Amino acid sequence: MKHTTQAKPASHAVTLPYVNDSGYYEIRLESIGGLGANLCGKLLGELGVGYLGLNASAFSSYGSEKRGSPVKSYVRFSRPKQDILHNSPVEHPHLLVLFHQALSSSQPVTAGVREDCVLVINTSLTPEKMRDELRLHAGTVCCVDALKLALQSKSRVNMVMLGAIAKASGFIPLDAVKDLVTATLGKKYPDMLAYNIAGLELGYQNLTVQFFSSDKRYETLPYHEAQSKWGYQNAPLGGANTHFGSTVSNDLYPSREGFIPLYLPEKCIHCGLCDSTCPDMVFQFAPGEYRGKPGMLNQGLDYHHCKACLRCVDVCPTEALVAGKEHEHPEKQWFVRNMDLIVDKLDFEPAGADSEVTSESYLDELRVDGGLI
Amino acid sequence: MEQAKQKVLFESGNELAAYAAKQINYHIMGYYPITPSTQIAEYLDRMKADGEHSIDLIPAEGEHSAAGICYGASAGGGRVFNATSANGLLYALEELPVQSGTRLPMVLNLACRTVSGPLSIKGDHSDVMYTLNTGWIILFANSPQEVYDLNICAIKIAEQLRLPVIVAFDGFFTSHQKRKCFVFAEDKSVRDFIGPKSCDYSVLDPEHPVTIGSYMNEPDLINNKYQLHMAMTQARTSIPKVFAEYRELSGRTLETVTSYRADDAEILLFILGSSYLTAKAAVDKLRKEGKKVGVFSLGVLRPFPSEQIAEICRNANKVLVADRQDSYGAGGGNMTLEIRAALQQKGLTTRVLCRIYGLGGRDFYEKDALDLFETCYEQEVPDFDYIGIYPGEKDFTTKPYFEPVTTANSLQGLTSCKEIDGKITVTGGTVRDTTARPKRLAPGHGACPGCGIPVNVNLLLRGIEGNVVLLFQTGCGMVVTTGYPKTAFKVSYVHNLFQNGAATLAGLSKMYRKMQERKELPPGDITFIMVSGDGGLDIGMGSALGTALRGDPVIILEYDNGGYMNTGYQLSYSTPMGAKSATSHLGPEQWGKTFFHKDMPRIMAATGMPYVATAAESDPNDFIKKAAKAQYYAKNHGTAYIKCLSACPLNWGDKPNTERRVISAAVNSCFFPLYEIEQGITTLSFDPEKSGQKIPVADWLKMMGRTRHLCEDNYFEIMENIQKEVDRRWSRLKAQAAHPEL
Repeated sequence: MKHTTQAKPASHAVTLPYVNDSGYYEIRLESIGGLGANLCGKLLGELGVGYLGLNASAFSSYGSEKRGSPVKSYVRFSRPKQDILHNSPVEHPHLLVLFHQALSSSQPVTAGVREDCVLVINTSLTPEKMRDELRLHAGTVCCVDALKLALQSKSRVNMVMLGAIAKASGFIPLDAVKDLVTATLGKKYPDMLAYNIAGLELGYQNLTVQFFSSDKRYETLPYHEAQSKWGYQNAPLGGANTHFGSTVSNDLYPSREGFIPLYLPEKCIHCGLCDSTCPDMVFQFAPGEYRGKPGMLNQGLDYHHCKACLRCVDVCPTEALVAGKEHEHPEKQWFVRNMDLIVDKLDFEPAGADSEVTSESYLDELRVDGGLI
Repeated sequence: MEQAKQKVLFESGNELAAYAAKQINYHIMGYYPITPSTQIAEYLDRMKADGEHSIDLIPAEGEHSAAGICYGASAGGGRVFNATSANGLLYALEELPVQSGTRLPMVLNLACRTVSGPLSIKGDHSDVMYTLNTGWIILFANSPQEVYDLNICAIKIAEQLRLPVIVAFDGFFTSHQKRKCFVFAEDKSVRDFIGPKSCDYSVLDPEHPVTIGSYMNEPDLINNKYQLHMAMTQARTSIPKVFAEYRELSGRTLETVTSYRADDAEILLFILGSSYLTAKAAVDKLRKEGKKVGVFSLGVLRPFPSEQIAEICRNANKVLVADRQDSYGAGGGNMTLEIRAALQQKGLTTRVLCRIYGLGGRDFYEKDALDLFETCYEQEVPDFDYIGIYPGEKDFTTKPYFEPVTTANSLQGLTSCKEIDGKITVTGGTVRDTTARPKRLAPGHGACPGCGIPVNVNLLLRGIEGNVVLLFQTGCGMVVTTGYPKTAFKVSYVHNLFQNGAATLAGLSKMYRKMQERKELPPGDITFIMVSGDGGLDIGMGSALGTALRGDPVIILEYDNGGYMNTGYQLSYSTPMGAKSATSHLGPEQWGKTFFHKDMPRIMAATGMPYVATAAESDPNDFIKKAAKAQYYAKNHGTAYIKCLSACPLNWGDKPNTERRVISAAVNSCFFPLYEIEQGITTLSFDPEKSGQKIPVADWLKMMGRTRHLCEDNYFEIMENIQKEVDRRWSRLKAQAAHPEL
């Protein structure tokens, strides 16, 4: 992102409604790479320093901003004169933002949430339903259908979310966010700017809010750092990994963005092109007979590993593979478990692409330079 | 001095290092991308494109060369800048004593990161501690603000002392965290502060010839080193002086030793970098409980401020040094050892405990700081320990998910090669039949949706019969497959350092044959395959060429996605000319990458290796057959090399589902022609001209966001040059195919 300078006094100075015992108002953004949560976190920090007259820090879980991988972003606000001393992840957020509903089942996203937490969730569900999905013990749940509103405003999910965050926070003026977005996009993209502003406004206006007290319906979910089962006493020396092929236990559905390839076996000529273009080894071929000749036949797909890139749909010469909306196919006909497996049962772990992109500057620039944040 | 005008920014440590460099307006930056320091070059490139500075940014093909570029540039007498991390630093390490020993000032930013292996990209201090003996001044910033401030002081200190200076800071915690900070509103304030560059001599002054880099043994070398020692002694006074001047200009205090509530502290914690700030918060909490605790840290590691440290520790009962690295077997990290020595020097008997923490980027929470202080109040505690470790789950066992892929199930005769009169023909290898090949790579890996790497690796492996051992050079391919505690490899796999895969596999393949020769392994075959990105074959060019020249029996597969995609898409030598990347921005002053894409097959062919081929997923049958040939050549004749174009939807800026069409367009445009060079004889695998499918390069480039701009009118000339170069290479290739002598 380009440097933004705010030498002038804060244009929308605010007072933080409440802070923790270290003096911070803390925000955690939980997302999937590609939705722009990182950028959203940075914008919130910049908003604090440049427009709200606060001190702020913003950083990310330094994993990946690749499409489909879980991403965490953190923002800390404090009074303008107070130093921010902590560099560790936000454990007990005042504001928790979930950019993607699928996160609710795949990650312990609500870890550390207390009753005073406001949750902003991108979902078409009601707060009540969402609470059940999340098994949330308490908190104020604010639901916004950001995907729909982004399409409606020709904006992006994170713009709608930014508007919703402003509203849910109770202290961030919408005008301040508008000023920030205007300054970030500058005069370079006036048409795009209008869409982004519309996205902000829709997010701000379309929040469904419900408070849930600590009624014991669900347990609190404590915050703790992840640990592996292999430690210093039992891990093979030197980091050697003897569990060959173990990524097979990853379920990649969080990487999908609403679509899946559908298989229509009656149209299939078993040419194998799908298998030659699939990066994720989804297709299951086995010996059989096709039109009276022995050969390898396509048995179906193991959707556990499908990231829905839809390469297979593009190369299929007979339209035996077509794109469909995943929610319209809960059954996933032609689901075939990976045929090389020799275990009866497999405990899958939801996972996203996990590549370590450690600089998002290029992608952020593409987003900003594209006129959409 | 009057305070200069300042402005507020919200930026990260990397951004501020770049901003300081821009304000200083160095002459030259030689660099090579490595996480987490890479953004410094990226931000400088962005500003360069916008005309905000005139530093020449030179992307080397590895850190060793980057350091060489910096050395040469500094011998010319101008101002020189570099940034690196971890293994990048270690790869360049031998240049560091040369830079200091020959007394050429420059500034190196070090975003500290764990040194491999196993490979970790996260932050700790294992890299910077390797520099303690290099004769460089080492400054350490604990916040993005200090990264900025120290960078401006660093160049002034360097030139005063005629010594190179490192500005180190925590990778990620400081390099990537955005903070409110102050910078000088005018670049002029910075330039006036550091003053004009002066040097004793310059190689670029023909009137005053000078020899740099004398051949020096006894009795002279020891005097040269004593001069270096004298400079370090001088630094003890000149660094605080520069800091004081800087304070006058900026209003901000920089210190060689910084401490918090240490004066009356009974328990003192020493901790370096961003953790120092967190520890301050812990000190406040414990002070409220009436505990007399304090914390101190360093702004300068070299020269080591022993006297001030002893002074601070004089009244403490215990000092706990939290080291973010270990000097294995020494009973402490380097800071522990040096602080113990500093106290002993002053006759203090204060007990100094050491705790190793935060390796590989483990976060440092306030609670960790509180626990460290608590440790000091306990009676029976060991002098040395690690925190944050865990033993693992007792009785945890893993069950294999698959049968291993061995000759038993993969020697299937799906492909076979016959050599008649020196000509090799492949039978089998169709896409359909080879679906029967057991996959050597398991699903569930973390590549992006639509990534070309697993596609290409799988196509290659379909053509390979029997046992396989894989080696991946550093890059997306290895990162997405081997994230601990899982691995996607169903066959044995090795990773070594970024640039050293070919040599590693050469050693491994030789060991296989040697152990068979000594009857320590049964007879049989293993095919050894190295997989590398195009970046790996920039930095690893030498290693690959060496292997090809020796004719070691391995296959090298290069997946060329035209950039350093794993670190956020910096330009590689294979990036198309004109493409934008994180280090080749578009702007009023810049138009993307300025030089042509590397012709790696031609470079490899020059070694005289028996088999060089290009392959593309758009012709999968051809790809599989070439893999079978490569296996044959590696077994019978020497090293084989296949290069394939590999899609990167994320950074190419196109849709994942379209990638095979995009690759096909690259082939049809002759940007990526398909051919083989067997024992020096070139054969075209596909001639788009003959089949009437040839398209202008523009038709390919417009399919990708990274190059689409080249089709606009204002890039007409560049596009014309690219087309000319592609045509030139294509014509030469046709001529080679037509004439066996070529």
